[in-house]
Amino acid sequence: MADKRYRSVPVQPGEITPKHIYQSRRNFLKQLGVLGMGALLASCAPDPSSDLTLPTDIPGEGRTDELGNPLTAYPAIGGYCNFYEFTTNKENVDELAQDFVTEPWSVEVGGLVSNPITYSLEDILDKFDQEERIYRMRCVEGWSMVIPWVGFPLRKILEEVQPTSEAQYVSFKTALVPEQMEGANSDMFPFPYLEGLRLDEAMHDLTLLATGIYGEALLPQNGAPIRLVVPWKYGFKSIKSIVSIKLVPNQPPTLWNTVAPNEYGFYANVNPDVDHPRWSQATERRIGEPGRIDTLFMNGYAEEVMALYEGMDLTINY
Amino acid sequence: MKKKQGRLNRWLLWIVHILSLLPLAALIDLALSGKLGFNPVETVLRWTGRIAVILLLLSLACTPVNKIFGQPKIGRLRKPLGLYAALYAVLHFAAFAIWDYGLNLRLIWSEILSRPFILWGLGGLVILLVLAATSFRFWQRKLGKTWRWLHRLVYAAGVLILIHYLLAIKGDLFSLQGAYLPPLIAGSILILLFILRIPAVYRFIRRLF
Repeated sequence: MADKRYRSVPVQPGEITPKHIYQSRRNFLKQLGVLGMGALLASCAPDPSSDLTLPTDIPGEGRTDELGNPLTAYPAIGGYCNFYEFTTNKENVDELAQDFVTEPWSVEVGGLVSNPITYSLEDILDKFDQEERIYRMRCVEGWSMVIPWVGFPLRKILEEVQPTSEAQYVSFKTALVPEQMEGANSDMFPFPYLEGLRLDEAMHDLTLLATGIYGEALLPQNGAPIRLVVPWKYGFKSIKSIVSIKLVPNQPPTLWNTVAPNEYGFYANVNPDVDHPRWSQATERRIGEPGRIDTLFMNGYAEEVMALYEGMDLTINY
Repeated sequence: MKKKQGRLNRWLLWIVHILSLLPLAALIDLALSGKLGFNPVETVLRWTGRIAVILLLLSLACTPVNKIFGQPKIGRLRKPLGLYAALYAVLHFAAFAIWDYGLNLRLIWSEILSRPFILWGLGGLVILLVLAATSFRFWQRKLGKTWRWLHRLVYAAGVLILIHYLLAIKGDLFSLQGAYLPPLIAGSILILLFILRIPAVYRFIRRLF
């Protein structure tokens, strides 16, 4: 079906070469067990003068998504991030997140399930085959990117833990480590960052648990070591650095819905016809390209996901 | 005209010119060296918006400083500072209309009509432009008393621009959640400057010095 379009070459464990991209003080993940695109990745000599430069010569940047949109450059993906636990300054997150410890890491999957499991990242990478998925990501602020994620459908983990019949929603939580996150104790945001999906949205094949970008392990600023990607929703739904996945009976609280419920809904489906109360959602800026482009209904994934919202008034359920 | 211009202190005026044009020079430098970041339109909008607000607040601070400390030289800086604020406001709007929306008039018009956020800013800009246009001695003579009333609208511009700023944040001011700090600080300063204009207030403070 539509699956084929998002899938690329599955990546074999054991084909990994550890990549030293940055200066030695940056964490690098030795055993990813994931990324076999070694041949594609030239390792860049660390640049002592600008310690946070990302490789700009990653092959594969000439590629596009299924609609013909070119991939966003890796430096932009790693250099322009919303991760308010570190800072609200998008271009500073990379620097502040450098020392975020992502190893060892465990994800607790439980709640209303028959078989709760706490996975280490290694367990996840061993157990679930990772594949590349090129998705558009649309931020609620009105900018977007095209990102080649590496990951696997969330559905696979959920099938392992076996949700009970009472489970209707999935809730997610981000790590909160004040010693490593400068903005963690801010009064302005009710951290830890929480998100949620309806169970059928979580089980959809498009919903991805991502562990890498451009064949590399996730950078801390992009939500290392494991994060959610729900491409037909605004970016804030794609929660980063997940420590907990819980099956629950009722719609769970989410950070942005708590901060401003009349602006950030639970569903947050990308919809050019449903404006944010204070600004329009009809167009967006694609990072790396000039001008504005029209925003697509469901971010261009309408065909795949509309069945989930049959009969729902999307202006109420925003 | 020469005689009257002499009353504007040369040194202070030069300081205003340099301080006001420095951010623009920095911005142009960043643009030419490709260092406007990953969302250059956003960077320029933010930068020009912030500088416009700062310059407007500085302009509005001139009269209170004069009234409290008896410094007419500072008081007269309100005009050049106000004009520079208008300049950055124009650049801010140009970045929105020309760069971001590519002079797509249909799109811009529908955005302006439907987004209160933009309307508030536009209102502030229009006032600043009218004030800039009538800032010459010629208009002062021509309009007489009306001129004074007209130029008091700069306070209205301050309020409209502050509302524009508040509506642009991601978050909710009333629940004190989100990135509300910069506009909140600007708003507090604006309110303070209003209060300082009240004769009873500035006379009281003047006696303290």
